Amino acid sequence: MMRILSIIVLTATLAGVVSAQRGGPPGPPLTPRQAAPIDLTGNWVAVVTEDWRWRMVTPPKGDVSSIPVNGEGRKATMAWDAAADAAGGNECRAFGVGGIMRQPGRLRISWQDTANLKLEFDAGTQTRTLVFDRTAQPGAEKTWQGFSRAEWEGPGIGRGPEAPPGPGAGPAGPPVPGGGGQGLRGGPPPRGAASIQRGGSLKVVTTNFKSGYLRKNGVPYSEQAVITEYFHRLPAHPNGDEWLNVVTIVEDPRYLAQPFYTSTNFRREADATKFAPSACKTDPPLPVKTK
Amino acid sequence: MNPGFRCAFEAVSARPKRRSLARLATPARAALVGACLLLAAVPAAAQVNFSGEWSGRYHEDQPDRVPGEEPGDFSGIPLNDAARLFGDSYDVGRHSVLEEQCAPYTLPYMFFGPNQFRIWQQVNPDTQELVAIEMHLGTYQQHRTIWLDGRPHPPEYAPHTFMGFSTGEWNGDILTITTTHIKQGYFRRSGVPASDRTTVVEHWMRHGPVLSQVTIATDPVYLTEPYIRSQEFVIMERGNTNWLYNCEYAMEVPRDKNTVPHYLPGKNPWAGEFESRHAMPKEGVRGGAESLLPEWKPGAAAARPNPAKNGGFSPSVLPQPLPAGEVRAVKVQGNVYMIVGAGGNIAAQVGDDGVLVVDTGAAGQSDKVLAAIKGIANGKEIRWIVNTGPAAEHIGNNEQVSKAGRTVNGNQAAIVAHENANERMIQRGVPDAQRPYNTYFEGSRDFPFNGEPVVLYHDESSVTDADTLVFFRRSDVIATGDVFRTDSFPVIDVTIGGSIDGTIASLNRLLDLTVPSKMLQEGGTYVIPGHGRISDEHEVVWYRDMLVIIRDRIKDMAARKMTLAQVQAAKPALDYEGRYGAETGPWTTAMFVEAVYKSVTAPAK
Repeated sequence: MMRILSIIVLTATLAGVVSAQRGGPPGPPLTPRQAAPIDLTGNWVAVVTEDWRWRMVTPPKGDVSSIPVNGEGRKATMAWDAAADAAGGNECRAFGVGGIMRQPGRLRISWQDTANLKLEFDAGTQTRTLVFDRTAQPGAEKTWQGFSRAEWEGPGIGRGPEAPPGPGAGPAGPPVPGGGGQGLRGGPPPRGAASIQRGGSLKVVTTNFKSGYLRKNGVPYSEQAVITEYFHRLPAHPNGDEWLNVVTIVEDPRYLAQPFYTSTNFRREADATKFAPSACKTDPPLPVKTK
Repeated sequence: MNPGFRCAFEAVSARPKRRSLARLATPARAALVGACLLLAAVPAAAQVNFSGEWSGRYHEDQPDRVPGEEPGDFSGIPLNDAARLFGDSYDVGRHSVLEEQCAPYTLPYMFFGPNQFRIWQQVNPDTQELVAIEMHLGTYQQHRTIWLDGRPHPPEYAPHTFMGFSTGEWNGDILTITTTHIKQGYFRRSGVPASDRTTVVEHWMRHGPVLSQVTIATDPVYLTEPYIRSQEFVIMERGNTNWLYNCEYAMEVPRDKNTVPHYLPGKNPWAGEFESRHAMPKEGVRGGAESLLPEWKPGAAAARPNPAKNGGFSPSVLPQPLPAGEVRAVKVQGNVYMIVGAGGNIAAQVGDDGVLVVDTGAAGQSDKVLAAIKGIANGKEIRWIVNTGPAAEHIGNNEQVSKAGRTVNGNQAAIVAHENANERMIQRGVPDAQRPYNTYFEGSRDFPFNGEPVVLYHDESSVTDADTLVFFRRSDVIATGDVFRTDSFPVIDVTIGGSIDGTIASLNRLLDLTVPSKMLQEGGTYVIPGHGRISDEHEVVWYRDMLVIIRDRIKDMAARKMTLAQVQAAKPALDYEGRYGAETGPWTTAMFVEAVYKSVTAPAK
């Protein structure tokens, strides 16, 4: 009996080890790059199918449509002065972390090293660094892009940076009679279980930035805001398109009455030939005409 | 108990009843226990649970999505010229048409309008396998099922619904949903059309209280490339009560109830207003794939069409036609079936009295047609055949089907049609044995069969002067013959009494007969078209609207003394050609336009 118990204890210990190391080979912990459940790197172009009239052109002053600004936010919007921004060296206010995703432009994502993901935007020639090191701290000076702390989420962490399969790729085994799945009790595995255990998303929380504009026409966000983003690499579309979806949630106690949700979609491009860095420049609005 | 721990427990405590375990040597049992514990350390695969009540956030395009769009705004949509013409012709007064007042948004738009929805899971009680995700959408009280059990999408002759038919699969924490069989609707409420050939791919992602949904719509009729949008929903901790949508249509504007508000090309009084009011470049407001990219500037060349962009779907998720040569009977509702695959659609009503067959298909298919009828007849005889008109693809097997049947007095099954149909068949040299010998002359004829009233309606002029609608009143199904079809423009034969006005009048009669269920424009009376899929009032009203709009355009052109060639060049049916038109074959768009032109320019009788 003692021998049996010894084997059980030993095996249980091994099980704990296996559990602890699940998702990676034995040895040192995986780097964020190694642990990546999805591959975000590459060249992406914003496809502007939403908010076109506020993103592709500079909307009229005071147009805060869709954005849940509070009274102070509305007041600040009405005080927008593009010339004053330029004179004060603040042309990049619409290209800060709260607005850059909504700028029409191209995005190049690459690993700066094994623990930092680099996002380069050609609009305004902006760069963001997504920091995975939990011990890293922001610098003393606030910047347009702030300090972004990143972490992977999802079941595929450590399983390798695989692109998720396209529709139809999930295995679809027959239901297991009698409630037993793969010889186990407790129910069958879900259809396409292999697909379920893959993939994930990237969560990014950004603080420590300078105040800027949510929209080109001066709808503001403050330095008190916290910006949370989720990066999703979508399964390949049947026509071969590959999409990156970024959900952005801006919580700003100063200028917003409630969290501000947007999501932005980027299509993969084969190369960086169309990546065209430009200065922070906001065209003046076209005149409003009364027909 | 964790399955692994339970497994280990049973290995250790194996009783005689578990002989297979009890017989194992002690070390082997110990090893098995170890293996079980290893299993216990591996988490079971588990999907993200989207269950809950969700409310939309409208922080993108809010003026479009909540108060409602302004006319002429096509910005941000990769649409084509057909969609632009549709949108330019669109009069928001069309929402006041009786049959359209309660029409829900279709899936391609549903999640963009004001909305809240409840999600729950359908689980197989025996296996606990997740079979489907169910949704109730408060807006328009829609229900949606997303099947996760691997079933294929229905064939193309199946009815379409506002929410369509959806299947899903998991990609990590992303649920990817593919939806087909969606009725005609709009990508934008101001009249940017979405055809019934639209396929929608959705990706759902959940992060705590936030549900993100990406929608990618592919519509080869109105889009040049897939149209991607995304939006966020937040869980409602305290729920809400807005789950019902009580819509009752009413005559809001005193006018002929069959009026279809629309603008003739170049006559939309609101054209240009949107860009002026919102300080936008005109070219951007007109949309198009090229305008969606960062480098776009006013005056940019239009993106070149790339049909491959609209494709790539697996056949298993697309509506599939019947395999060539196959003839199949499909239950519609009540006592009525539709037999597909034999040329024109055939309807069959089955009951204790026997079988009533509406039309018999194209010649040469009699064996298959009779086999299909036999499969649903429960041993009953074919008693009656009704011909909806004289077209060859509807009467080709009259003789064989008639001879296979028997009336109660022992004769072969009687063939019924309007007298004009018989006349037209005689003129075309149809043999006596194939012609109806039981004709009626009046505007309608009714008789009971299988316990329900069967009513035949005839209009003086329709696609010919010889058409009959067959109404199964208790089953609530109407077989229309070629007055209504979902596969092409109507084949109006002006040489035998057909006319565009007559066809529209017949469709208006059809709309008078059809009643949707729940007042939400879906189901209720089902319609078996002469060709194409099972339909309901919604498909008929869109078809009627199309014909009114095209007729009015051609009539206006004719009034301006435009020749037929000039009218053809002006493409008066452009916005519907991608769906109903053809450049080759027995009934081209040019032939249809010519028929309408001749019809509207014919001297009044």
